[in-house]
Amino acid sequence: MLANNTRNAFVAVSKRPYVWSIPLRFQKRALQTASQPPAQDDTPFRKALKDAAKQQKKATRGGNKAKKASDPRLEKWELTVGIEIHAELNTARKLFSSAATSISESPNTHASLFDVAFPGSQPHFQKETLIPALRAALAFDCTIQPRSSFDRKHYFYQDQPNGYQITQYYEPFATDGHITLHAHDFPAGSAPEDCPIKIGIKQVQMEQDTAKTVQQPPSTHLLDFNRVSHPLIEIITLPHIHDPLVAAACVRKIQTILKTVDACTAGMEMGGLRADVNVSIRERGQTTGGEGLSYSGVTGLGQRTEIKNLASVKAVEDAIIAERDRQIQLVEGGGAVEGETRGWTVGSKTTKRLRGKEGEIDYRYMPDPDISPVFIAQDLVDHLRTNLPVLPDRVVDVLVEKYGLSVKDAGTLLSFDSGDRLEYFFEVTNQLARTRLIKPSDPKFPTIGKAAGNWVLMELGSLFKDEEWSADRVPPEILVSIIQQLLEKRVTSRSAKKLLAEKFEGDERDIDQLIEDYNMQLRPLSSEGYRNLAQTLLDEKPDMVRDIVEKGQEKKIKWFVGQMMARSPEGTVEADVAEKTLQELLPTKKVE
Amino acid sequence: MSLLKHAKQYLANQSKYAHLNAFVSLAEPSKLVSHADVKAERRDVKDKPIAVKDNICTADLKTTASSGILKEFTSPYDATVVKLLRDAGAVVCGKTNMDEFGMGSHSTHSYAGAVTMQRHSAEEEKSAGGSSGGSALAVASAQCWAALGTDTGGSVRLPAAYTGVVGFKPSYGLLSRWGVIAYANSLDTVGILGKGVQDVRAVFDALNAYDSQDPTSVSPSTRARLNNKKKDSLRIGIPLEYNISTLQPAVRQAWMRTLRELHERGHSLHPIRLPATQHALSAYYILAPAEASSNLAKYDGVRYGSRAEGIDGSPESVLFAKTRGQGLGPEVQRRILLGAFTLSAQAMDNYFIQAQKIRRLVQHDFNRVFTTPNPLLDEMPEQSEYQPLVDVIVCPTAPTLAPSLASVEDQDPISAYMNDIFTVPASLAGLPSISVPVRIARDEQITVQPFEETAGIQIIGQYGDDNLVFAAADIVSRISPTSQAQSKAPDVTSWGASISK
Repeated sequence: MLANNTRNAFVAVSKRPYVWSIPLRFQKRALQTASQPPAQDDTPFRKALKDAAKQQKKATRGGNKAKKASDPRLEKWELTVGIEIHAELNTARKLFSSAATSISESPNTHASLFDVAFPGSQPHFQKETLIPALRAALAFDCTIQPRSSFDRKHYFYQDQPNGYQITQYYEPFATDGHITLHAHDFPAGSAPEDCPIKIGIKQVQMEQDTAKTVQQPPSTHLLDFNRVSHPLIEIITLPHIHDPLVAAACVRKIQTILKTVDACTAGMEMGGLRADVNVSIRERGQTTGGEGLSYSGVTGLGQRTEIKNLASVKAVEDAIIAERDRQIQLVEGGGAVEGETRGWTVGSKTTKRLRGKEGEIDYRYMPDPDISPVFIAQDLVDHLRTNLPVLPDRVVDVLVEKYGLSVKDAGTLLSFDSGDRLEYFFEVTNQLARTRLIKPSDPKFPTIGKAAGNWVLMELGSLFKDEEWSADRVPPEILVSIIQQLLEKRVTSRSAKKLLAEKFEGDERDIDQLIEDYNMQLRPLSSEGYRNLAQTLLDEKPDMVRDIVEKGQEKKIKWFVGQMMARSPEGTVEADVAEKTLQELLPTKKVE
Repeated sequence: MSLLKHAKQYLANQSKYAHLNAFVSLAEPSKLVSHADVKAERRDVKDKPIAVKDNICTADLKTTASSGILKEFTSPYDATVVKLLRDAGAVVCGKTNMDEFGMGSHSTHSYAGAVTMQRHSAEEEKSAGGSSGGSALAVASAQCWAALGTDTGGSVRLPAAYTGVVGFKPSYGLLSRWGVIAYANSLDTVGILGKGVQDVRAVFDALNAYDSQDPTSVSPSTRARLNNKKKDSLRIGIPLEYNISTLQPAVRQAWMRTLRELHERGHSLHPIRLPATQHALSAYYILAPAEASSNLAKYDGVRYGSRAEGIDGSPESVLFAKTRGQGLGPEVQRRILLGAFTLSAQAMDNYFIQAQKIRRLVQHDFNRVFTTPNPLLDEMPEQSEYQPLVDVIVCPTAPTLAPSLASVEDQDPISAYMNDIFTVPASLAGLPSISVPVRIARDEQITVQPFEETAGIQIIGQYGDDNLVFAAADIVSRISPTSQAQSKAPDVTSWGASISK
């Protein structure tokens, strides 16, 4: 049952083909002075994904380095970070009009009268947009408020047709959640020692997106209102983070969870997610009595600054490091941190001041008089909670307990290819178990999972090392039949790998045909045959035998194993039997 | 197709009274034709020329809200109320002048110039009231059969009182606001002006329908619960707080006479107290500008509307600072600034929040005095045993008769706001309210006028008691009706001047 649920969860995620066929959307945002290098809208998707993967690899390396280098200043100063994440909800319609949401349609083809703020037009809350928002909030264990309401946040900008954004300021629909980071949520080897780390989520609110501005210097601003009022959720964490690496892992995990519960259109690298971070430092061990500032009930903090509009996990991590170092340097030099808004450009070494406290916008929040409060019934919440897709943490547990994987492999599987690899793994394992008539309740089931995991992660993994993952390259049923041949001892493991490589390269022959054509059928040597072959080899190389017996160079046995396989026809010698035979024939070391 | 009945007379009146500046745009005379093909259930509205205030969207005529920033704006769609009028076979005969975006009490703050009421060649120019002054004066001067206005804090009732016509503000949410340019959404209502109560009622009946496009439109299920009872004898409340010292004697006498006549017709009179009223006006002038500052943020000349000449904006600023500075008039700018201030972080608690509390107290005051419980509330308010219950409240619409435009120009803004003192409470509570002209007896006149002079008497009912308010208005209107109310053809003005063909 569980296995099935888990599978369905990921099937659901991957059955949204449009996510995979769209060009990238990197957007310039309102109030955004600093932004990511604007990738071209026609950047091929695969290329962008690869870049993102490379970036992540780099980020991982950077993280490790930062961790290893112990900076004495970091012993003295403690960093505190809170994150606000804006994510585009996966909905058919806009938040306040029945206009369809769209990703890359021709400009200004998806906008209603209200979306472009025509005189006399009024908002129509699309209650269906609540569903993915609720799923997200439930995934973060939030309390769903039976009553929430919408407020106007005022600021002037040409991409904001009404002159205000409709958001939930006074009464958000979800509060008091949390997210837990486990060791498997961090890049290999970089998990902090205090895992699992629990980060509080203050609230989740719904709000409108803005229009897209395309600037054509020197003085033309083109506006595309297709994106106006696309529903967003803003997830606000408490300032519970003290490590840039944890902040990055937190953003990454929020992204994964949003994807798992099908709440979001796209990941961060595709412009579907943006983060603002607030950063402060304080001296360690200083228990500030009445001093220090307090944010969201967390007290004794230093003056914080806010860094707006970070569009990748790496940007979050790097911007926090840069801002932390800037603040430490400032304070150690006798200065004081000012409450201000700052920006960050990828590749730069420091954050840049955007506006100071005196330049802060007074948003003049006002309840929207045209939009009645939203009442969410408990039965809807219960229904969504019951049918929530299995979350990543639970998936790890299932992979370890039911599928026999190590925690590390489970984490790896989960993090690969946005869950596609995991889905593939479930498919292979379940097919294999059915083929071998092993039920999920069978105690042998984990060994099936372990074998499948090995093939999906290691063997297939090495083939896909330099290529984009695709489940169609070696369809699950092909891999299942290869593993089945091996488990039935019809081919050796070397032959099985060869079969996989052939299929990977696109050989169209079926497995049985391949086995026959390559003469791979396992015709095991008799134990006599093994002994004769082994003895011949041992006799040929007395030096090596001495090295093994007297110097204890056990590894050289492998050379003999290789030779035994090399000198026999394909499919006759199995490595483990050969090694066992060799061990038996080798003279035992004389005890002196 | 034939010309509307009396079409020529209306057209003649329009040119005769063009100098009053009641219209900002007029339909082509050729449009004043009968739509015989329209199967209208309401014969009383069919083929009638109806003027529409210029903040209500029409697809055929410009909709400027009397603002420079919308001076060339034509809406791509008809407001729901306009559509319903057309469906009923009425003809939109023009768009009426108003205070810019509905902000004003004398219809002088207009990009199209002030509305001026001159009832007699010897009379100095008077205020037609605002902000629906153009609609009121168009009806008063028989340039149309009836008119739509909007009433946020008295914008239909005050001009009705000043010009001598009937002006009705329905319960909030009964008439659709889709296509009505928002001034203060939580208070805005579409209102109706006509020469008599029955005309106004006919238009109201044609427009009173649920509209899914207006999120504040009262749902069909709530409409079904609204009171429709009829009463032969009314319990009439006299709010003691409304008898202020600055009440003009002529107005006070008209009020007293009306009450006396009602009593003589078998209705009972009961003094009531509405203590929160004294704070209502200040609360209104915080809440309405606050919402206005928000609602008017959209006018930037980017997607529609006029833009300032030349390049607007700098790399550091938005692209419309100059456009808004030039396109919006001084009173609108004043209220935007007021609203921006009261919503600011430093002032929010002391102004906006306090004003909302007062609004709640005003609603509570009304709920305590009406026999009908408020259908929007689950709980009945506590009744005081010393407080009599009443069916409707009868009081003046405005403290004075129409003031002269000269005196209005000298007024500081605060005094101008005082005109709304009696109309604002019903707006804050969302209650149905109507202003009915009552003729002033010659001996009550301050200076004897060579024309019929009237004062506006206001009738306020419980939320949803619109029918009861109409019933009471009908009684009051029969006490001393204007000549216009009694005439069948558009040949006499509300001040009794007969117009020869």
